[in-house]
Amino acid sequence: MRIAGRGGALALAGLFAVFAAGCGETPPPAVTAAPSVAPDMLVGKWGLASYHKDADRDRTVKEARAQCNKPYVITKGTNGGVMMNLADQATPSELVLKAGKDGQTFLGPPGDAGTADDRIVMNADGNSFTTVWVDPDNAGRYGTMVYERCGKRAA
Amino acid sequence: MSVRVGLLARSAIAAVIVAAAAVLPGAFATAAPQEEMNVQDQPGYQPTPEEEQLTGAFEKQEVFFRTPEKPGTIIIDTKSRFLYLVQPDNRALRYGIGVGRDGFQWSGLERIARKQEWPDWRPPPEMIERQPYLPRFMAGGPGNPLGARAMYLGATVYRIHGTNQPQTIGHAVSSGCFRLVNDDVIDLYDRVPVGTKVIIKQAVAL
Repeated sequence: MRIAGRGGALALAGLFAVFAAGCGETPPPAVTAAPSVAPDMLVGKWGLASYHKDADRDRTVKEARAQCNKPYVITKGTNGGVMMNLADQATPSELVLKAGKDGQTFLGPPGDAGTADDRIVMNADGNSFTTVWVDPDNAGRYGTMVYERCGKRAA
Repeated sequence: MSVRVGLLARSAIAAVIVAAAAVLPGAFATAAPQEEMNVQDQPGYQPTPEEEQLTGAFEKQEVFFRTPEKPGTIIIDTKSRFLYLVQPDNRALRYGIGVGRDGFQWSGLERIARKQEWPDWRPPPEMIERQPYLPRFMAGGPGNPLGARAMYLGATVYRIHGTNQPQTIGHAVSSGCFRLVNDDVIDLYDRVPVGTKVIIKQAVAL
């Protein structure tokens, strides 16, 4: 009984030590999945069009494919991102793909995902993708933007 | 005696003119031509109802308007920034408009070739050059720079259309098109059929 009592106390003390150590530590950061869209999927020349009402999407996609005589060009950045324009910015800057907590993919300046300068990237398959601005003012002005690849489309 | 009659006649004429001016508000008013306005298109901008409400001479109004043209004809006065829709009995509906900026003004005779509600917008190449982030096509709707309606002038590239920038009414801003605030362009659109004669003049003598 004495031995069991002492062993039990030791075990309890050990357990307490473990808990005490755990309580005082910063919990490990949540693991966020890598964005599901790779930068190479965005690089290239694109027909660019936009719409506000869902009913206009199909014809806007068609129109985007017809805009390759004035393509929007996305090039690789030097830090793993892509060179694109932020809203209302005539000079492109390097934007990176960022995974959001709920599985969304954001594209914007390096930093947290889902900031006002970001856009949400959707339906990216190498031949087309769609973006919606996070900032409601930008979204209201530019609508949903559709990018359709110009030239040879990926298989 | 004849001198007194002459004086009385001149006074009477003056009185008539003053009375007419009082009875026909805005008929003799002319809008001072505004400076050219340097403003870029704002795709997606949606003005507030307050911003869309024009006041003074540029507010839509019925005016005295003598012309040999038939009722239903549109006459555009680019210098004064007015569009007149001729009505019977020496009247016209007068709308305030924005016109082409320097180098983009024109005159001529056209007919409305087609009409479109909430027209799509395709920015011109020089605009895309300046603003490369613009979509090359924007489906029609609120915030579209062409506004609620478009009436296409013959085989030209020019239109009478709405605008999402009501502050440009009365100014020379465009690349040659004539713009009205959306309420006015909807009103005009509903009044004029395809085929309507449109006369564009630098100045219109009443």
